[in-house]
Amino acid sequence: MHRRVWKCLVIVVVAALFSASCGTGAAQGRITLTVATFSEFGYDELIPEYEAAHPGIRVVQERTGQGGPYHDQLFTRLGAGSGLGDVVAVEEGHLSDVLAQARLFNDLTEIGPADVKADRWLDWKYQAGRARNGALIGYGTDIGPLAMCYRRDLLDAAGLPSDPESVKSLFATWDSYFAAGDTFHARTGKAWFDSDSQIFNAMQNQLPTGYFDTDDRLVIDTEPAIRHNWDAVTAAGARGQSAGLTAFSTDWDAGFAAGAFATKTCPSWMLGVIKAKAGADNAGKWAVTDAFPGGGGNWGGSYLAVPKQSKHPREAAELAAWLTAPQQQIRAFAKTGNFPSQTAALDSPELLGTVDAYFGGTRTGELFAARARQVGKAQYKGPGDGRIQENVMAPALHAVEQGEPPEQGWQQAVEGARRIAR
Amino acid sequence: MLAGFVAGSLFPFYWAFTVGSREPGARVSTPLPGGHFLANARRVFDTVPFWQALGNSVLVSAAVAASTVVFATLAGFAFARLRFPGRDRLFGIVVAGLAVPTQLGIIPLYRAMADLGWAGGLQAVIVPNLVTALGVFLMRQYTVSAVPAELVEAARVDGCSPWGAFRHVCVPAVGPAAAFLGVFTFMTSWNDFLWPLVALDADHPTIPLVLERLQSGHYVDYSLVLAGTTLATIPVLIVFVAFGRRITTGIGQLP
Amino acid sequence: MTMSVSMRSRAPYLFILPFFAVFGFVVVYPLIYNGYLALFDWDLLDDSPAFVGFGNYAALLTDERFGRAVVNTLSLVALTTVPQLVIAIGLAALLDTRRIASRWEIGILLPCAMSLVAVAIVFANLFGPRFGLVNDALTAVGLDPVDWQADRFAAHLAIASMVDWRWTGYNALIVLAALRAVPREPHEAALLDGAGPMRRFTSVTLPLLRPTLVFVAVTSTVGGLQIFTEPKLFDMLPGANGGARGQFQTVTLYLYQAAFEDRHLGYAAAIACVLFVVIGLLAWVNYRVTRALAR
Repeated sequence: MHRRVWKCLVIVVVAALFSASCGTGAAQGRITLTVATFSEFGYDELIPEYEAAHPGIRVVQERTGQGGPYHDQLFTRLGAGSGLGDVVAVEEGHLSDVLAQARLFNDLTEIGPADVKADRWLDWKYQAGRARNGALIGYGTDIGPLAMCYRRDLLDAAGLPSDPESVKSLFATWDSYFAAGDTFHARTGKAWFDSDSQIFNAMQNQLPTGYFDTDDRLVIDTEPAIRHNWDAVTAAGARGQSAGLTAFSTDWDAGFAAGAFATKTCPSWMLGVIKAKAGADNAGKWAVTDAFPGGGGNWGGSYLAVPKQSKHPREAAELAAWLTAPQQQIRAFAKTGNFPSQTAALDSPELLGTVDAYFGGTRTGELFAARARQVGKAQYKGPGDGRIQENVMAPALHAVEQGEPPEQGWQQAVEGARRIAR
Repeated sequence: MLAGFVAGSLFPFYWAFTVGSREPGARVSTPLPGGHFLANARRVFDTVPFWQALGNSVLVSAAVAASTVVFATLAGFAFARLRFPGRDRLFGIVVAGLAVPTQLGIIPLYRAMADLGWAGGLQAVIVPNLVTALGVFLMRQYTVSAVPAELVEAARVDGCSPWGAFRHVCVPAVGPAAAFLGVFTFMTSWNDFLWPLVALDADHPTIPLVLERLQSGHYVDYSLVLAGTTLATIPVLIVFVAFGRRITTGIGQLP
Repeated sequence: MTMSVSMRSRAPYLFILPFFAVFGFVVVYPLIYNGYLALFDWDLLDDSPAFVGFGNYAALLTDERFGRAVVNTLSLVALTTVPQLVIAIGLAALLDTRRIASRWEIGILLPCAMSLVAVAIVFANLFGPRFGLVNDALTAVGLDPVDWQADRFAAHLAIASMVDWRWTGYNALIVLAALRAVPREPHEAALLDGAGPMRRFTSVTLPLLRPTLVFVAVTSTVGGLQIFTEPKLFDMLPGANGGARGQFQTVTLYLYQAAFEDRHLGYAAAIACVLFVVIGLLAWVNYRVTRALAR
């Protein structure tokens, strides 16, 4: 290295540190609110409007692509006591962990605008956003009401009913669903659903309580219904009903293209996924029906919360209330397809008029609005509930699909749940 | 054999470019690139603040690489060719430093950054990476190989201070390793994800953070993501070509 | 080292001061913090951690998952370090004799320049158990497809191939840089003595490369013991950390799971401390042994 190079290196270091230390200065006299979201909330066009209506406020959107890294970041900053946005999005699966830390978040009934009432949302959505002490931690944004999607052509080939009306009898209860799966598998040799855990999660979410009771005691090994569901799903899988394809893996993508399974538990947002993965070649083959085994269900959807770390909690709550108002959520729906959780939005003509050509011209807006009203009472989810689902049950069920005896898989599940619950 | 190795090394890049040049959602049927790379690249620029992230990443990676090289060369020379009390014990600490698992440093470091008021800005990703134990270890081992002790001694006899010996004997001889360390550190910093994700705020994205953002939505658009990752590799290639020759033609620079 | 220049001044400390100043902040401080954390039963967001003394370490001793993670890690270290070292030396020797445009030699470093997002996607395409390219190739030549995710050894092989792909070129370049820096005179002397190219390489060049080979051996062992990114990316289940049954869970993945998913920070810190001591000892022994051999 020549002396010139050496000098250059030193200059680079000094310059970088210097320029880094005089970062962006916020505009004078304005409050800056940060909104942290992941994936796609559809707020890009809404935020400038809010800024225009509130001249003293600048809104910065901090976006992460995927929910996993986003929530890792959220909990690290929560633990460190600083760095969180003024408004943070929380996905349903991570909500139980946030509610368990309610003391680190503001009660929106206290600091939010007085005109924001519980009746803005579907009751189950609103109730799920409250902590044990009754504090409202999050305003609901969107939901993922569950319907059933199925391959019309494959059901035809197996001699099963396939039009959206008569197929409902197959999807009335879990018993009828698994029975139809046996018939389908016997006649075609193909799998009935994509993976055990997709079915198990839907069954689990229909129970009155999750993996914990309302006193936060772990009930995985004392609540017979959980074990019953485990046995039903793993038995069906063992009879050849599961394709064993982990959701969102590249193999699962290829499975959609190859028609490797005939039915899919279908939250509203899954329609877009199916369209992308099954592709134009399979247009018209997939259909969706207004039915779901065992009643209703929900998968996905988020909340907006205001952490205690925020220096402008009232302004932040006002922004969150505005973003989750029906008018705004309808526009987010038009942009992204995120299904609104607000009752007024579910009655809006824009939503009810939505038609999906890929799924045979079904009036999907109407269909999922009806499904949203089928969802039962909000299930109590204790601290760690979402992590048990994601980090314990899904791997244990997949282990069974990979050849582990179901009894051993169950042991793995119980031990894993105990580690998280402690 | 060499050709086979190179082909194996390059295949994943070829595959990434192939998918990145297809229409979104196109079936993977032929192993040939499609003609949509530029269209996908335009979608990358429309979706995320790519140029801002590029600027930040260049700044961060260049600063980190430069400082790692400077400090590692200094320390490596001292450990290899100077004698002082506690040297072996201190070098033992450097070697032990290689063994610290990085995953758990995140929480205490983030707390420290927040206390210093650095969290969110680029300092938060530059300062913790100014030095690496790996760099010091590499430069020390290389200096032992490439800088004969006799030369250092001769310089000393000629009246050179330690600093003089470093500048006139060590610096000219360790160019290849220093260039290697610089390129490698640049690259590592360029691809660093978890710490920047935690430490940086919305106003200071780096390239891996915006690439991750390309995966938003309920499913991954592979053509978009792989077009983005291919674009993000180009600056690294430029660094490779600029410094590559230094690494492999070190011989003959000895005075 | 006996010929090092002795200089009684503060100068040597000034050479190493900048390094240790930053190192103390970013490495030593978190390490001490973890050592302290390991003495508590501490949830990530807990206000009132309970002091448990060495309870976390005691629990580790009987933890089957930890034992399995250690075995997986050692298996991966063996499958990565040895082939990498051998191939890297061979490759460097090959590059040294062939004077191709040296500007392009650095291209073999390219694999570690690839963005991890892309690495994950490409290797998932390659090693998909049902629809992967490798299995397509196997069935095309009449072999049975392999479940790269479920089978423990197959998964280790696939992950090792990913590690070797990313890091062999890196190690080869280090060896190459050293190869070109060693003095040519002993080599020429051996040539005059009539030694063949292979013999010249093993008996003249290799011993001169020892400091660099120590570096490569130590860093690839240390890197292997901390192997994290590749198995994490290889896992198709987003919620699992090294396979549905932990069949390729490494110690660092277990550490990550304990910290960020079980949220058991004290326990994770204890794992980190054990790992640190083990790696530190191994690295030190490795270093001393190779150095002693070099004398």
